Amino acid sequence: MMAASLKVGSELRSAPREMTRERMRWYVDAQPTVAADNGRIQTQEPTIHDDDDYARKQGLPGIIADGMISTNWIMGLLLDTFGPDFARKGKLRTKYIAPIYEDQVVISCARVTAVEKVDGATAYRLEVWSEDDTAKKLTVGEAIAYVRAHDPEKCPPVFGQDHAQG
Amino acid sequence: MAVGKYTSDLERGDVLGPVEYTLSPFVVREYCHAVELHQDFFQGTKDPIMPPTLIHLDKLRLYRHACPLGTGPHARVHVEYDATFHDTVRVGDRLRVGGTVSDRYEKRGRDYVHIDMELRRVSDNTLLVSYRDTVILSYKGATA
Repeated sequence: MMAASLKVGSELRSAPREMTRERMRWYVDAQPTVAADNGRIQTQEPTIHDDDDYARKQGLPGIIADGMISTNWIMGLLLDTFGPDFARKGKLRTKYIAPIYEDQVVISCARVTAVEKVDGATAYRLEVWSEDDTAKKLTVGEAIAYVRAHDPEKCPPVFGQDHAQG
Repeated sequence: MAVGKYTSDLERGDVLGPVEYTLSPFVVREYCHAVELHQDFFQGTKDPIMPPTLIHLDKLRLYRHACPLGTGPHARVHVEYDATFHDTVRVGDRLRVGGTVSDRYEKRGRDYVHIDMELRRVSDNTLLVSYRDTVILSYKGATA
């Protein structure tokens, strides 16, 4: 859905993704790889996200996903809707209210709660969350996306008014 | 002050960093690939920008700087990501990140820690991303 068609109550939903063991490990490996920044993939000591034995020793039934994966999947949904403007100026808060286990289905969601004009941009306030295939919420939070006025397709009239340019 | 040891030792008021680094295209591509952010402005352009979620790994950068002995005896569990994006961060930018342990408290037998961080462009000190990270610092399992 394009931002231009959004109004209060509009809901965005991603395609379902399974939280596979590989997806969890990709994020685990990304951490030392980013830290080293030497062009090569790095690995790290066992974590609760990639080692079942270690996770069980920490009181978990098995590996669980790092919360930042669901945060990034929610961010991806918002970037697909609002474009790079969301990475330029905005807000995202996510709270992890339930662990995400191996192969659990995750759907990223957002619902527009307010649309207002702020400093020449249109600000979309959203409730965001991720849920599994039984609609159980896993991650909850909120976001604000600012869409600049220069892009009429992404910056629609607000509350029936003509949108000011510039 | 509890810096210089384990992350599980951190106390309210501890200052982490600042640390300076230059954002590389490798870091942005690798991170975005790992979390499946396949938008062109991250991976398909000569002038890529940083996904604001990447600031979470700056926290690990600060941990390594301030707590060289590592995590401590128990796993650390991330509870909440709360970031405000103030301006675009571009590959090639020289960046400065710093943080403060703004709170540490016990709740239901678990130690919660808030770290407030700022990411700034070195050349003009522009605030780019502000971030509050909340973790359970010494996760001891569901029955602890």
